[in-house]
Amino acid sequence: MSGIQIQIQSRSTGEFVDASLLDGMAAQDLLLVEREWLAERSLVAQELLRAGVERAKWPQSLHWNWSKKAPQLMLLESTGFGVVCESLWQGVMLTKTASYFARLGSDKGKPLVYVDFLEIAPWNWVIPEIGRDGRYRMIGSTLFWRAVQQSEEEGFHGRVGLHALPQSESFYEKGCGMTPLGRDATKQNLLYFELSREQAQRHLQKGGDA
Amino acid sequence: MALKKTMTLNLTDAEMAVLDELSEKKDLSKTAVLRQALRLYQMVNIRIERGEKLFFEDEVKKEKAEVVVL
Repeated sequence: MSGIQIQIQSRSTGEFVDASLLDGMAAQDLLLVEREWLAERSLVAQELLRAGVERAKWPQSLHWNWSKKAPQLMLLESTGFGVVCESLWQGVMLTKTASYFARLGSDKGKPLVYVDFLEIAPWNWVIPEIGRDGRYRMIGSTLFWRAVQQSEEEGFHGRVGLHALPQSESFYEKGCGMTPLGRDATKQNLLYFELSREQAQRHLQKGGDA
Repeated sequence: MALKKTMTLNLTDAEMAVLDELSEKKDLSKTAVLRQALRLYQMVNIRIERGEKLFFEDEVKKEKAEVVVL
């Protein structure tokens, strides 16, 4: 794996702490991610049940299992990225580079980086209903910035596409500046978003802040 | 990005013409076009080895044709 040094922000103190943004994750790394996150996922589920929080407000990635996604890393088109801080995986993203194409404007039909999965560690989730404030912020936006960077490196001019979970739609539209292009019946009716090359340049110019 | 190795590629005029055309159409370097082709070929092969089939579908005519990959 290779990577760069970044900083993420503690939600409780506001302080910035050093972290690593890594790329080239291997299948074993995703198994490790799942092992680290599984107990916390279960704890969150128990707290939600105990507090009687309605299902619609549960984190929509609560059922995800990164070990099941590990085989995808055998494919040349798949890349795994992760943020590590305090020796723990704080967020992970899986991208694809060959099976999705742009739908927006003049770049329609040209390749893009497709964000297949992006999730932050369960201890970073903000769930007011059960008093969870989240440990660190800026992880999702850093991973998204890395997807735009990957698109630049691939010669895709920053184009990025993804299907967002309903709870993340606002983050991708307002935070990342992506364009919603309608619901996709072949992807559980999730809303498809795309970042054009122009939007990518704007996103990179403002430092990837989401 | 992973470390890259350099190789020389010998192509016929016809193959080079197609590479030029795809490079222009997809707004990619020739290296990027070949990299994309390799990724797709690997993905298709893995899925076919798993017993899956590859189809092209004409949505207007409602026709489906299986692509046989050797």
